[in-house]
Amino acid sequence: MPSNWGYVFAAYGIAAVTLLAYWRHLARRARAVAAHRAAKPRAA
Amino acid sequence: MTRALGWLAVLGLAAGLAAGFGYAPREAVQGNVQRIMYLHVPAVLTAYLAFVLVLVGSIGYLATRRPGWDRLAAAAGEIGVLFTGLTIVSGSIWGKPTWGTWWTWDARLTSTAVLFCVYVGYLLLRSLIEDPDARSRYAAVVGILGAVNIPIVHFSVKWWRALHQPSTILGPERSPIDPAIGLALFVNWVAFTLLFAYFLSRRMEIARLEEPT
Repeated sequence: MPSNWGYVFAAYGIAAVTLLAYWRHLARRARAVAAHRAAKPRAA
Repeated sequence: MTRALGWLAVLGLAAGLAAGFGYAPREAVQGNVQRIMYLHVPAVLTAYLAFVLVLVGSIGYLATRRPGWDRLAAAAGEIGVLFTGLTIVSGSIWGKPTWGTWWTWDARLTSTAVLFCVYVGYLLLRSLIEDPDARSRYAAVVGILGAVNIPIVHFSVKWWRALHQPSTILGPERSPIDPAIGLALFVNWVAFTLLFAYFLSRRMEIARLEEPT
């Protein structure tokens, strides 16, 4: 049975990148919403 | 609360990696490639949980018309798609050295692909309808109908002759898994559930803040 570590690292690597990208997406969106809400009273 | 969930998820994932790569032994037949299961199995269980919450949120919204239920369904749907995607990709990577192919139109794989497409459609539907009430109502109907696919995915390996192995965790018989491998799976499942709870909490909070006041 070959070690197949390449497949294992590929699977975990893709998962790590995907989950980190989603986390960053949420963080960016939260910052954008906070900035929008902070700007709103000034515009009104 | 959300921050604490995030740190718990990080700790859980670190423990999961330690359990999957340090504690659990090399599987006798598949070798190291079996370690992909510590990612694949928790990912699909998390996706099931997410889509059950889409169902709960959809029913809750139609029954009460409270936007909180719709936020739950929308957030769970988005994260469920994420984890279903991870399930398909990790399963495909595992399949190449184990089955000799990246993909086959086996009942479990096909029904999982359909599940993925149904909830991508659910998210697309949400993004296409501007009226908030109509969006929530139509999405709730799709969220309820889409849930029909969850038992089809899970029992597909029983109902049809499939290349995919039958359930070894959520099956009726006692699990034949080695205790060390079972523990590593359990730790990773807890970690993924914590990560899901963290993502869900953040996504719902963002949706709440995005709603017009």
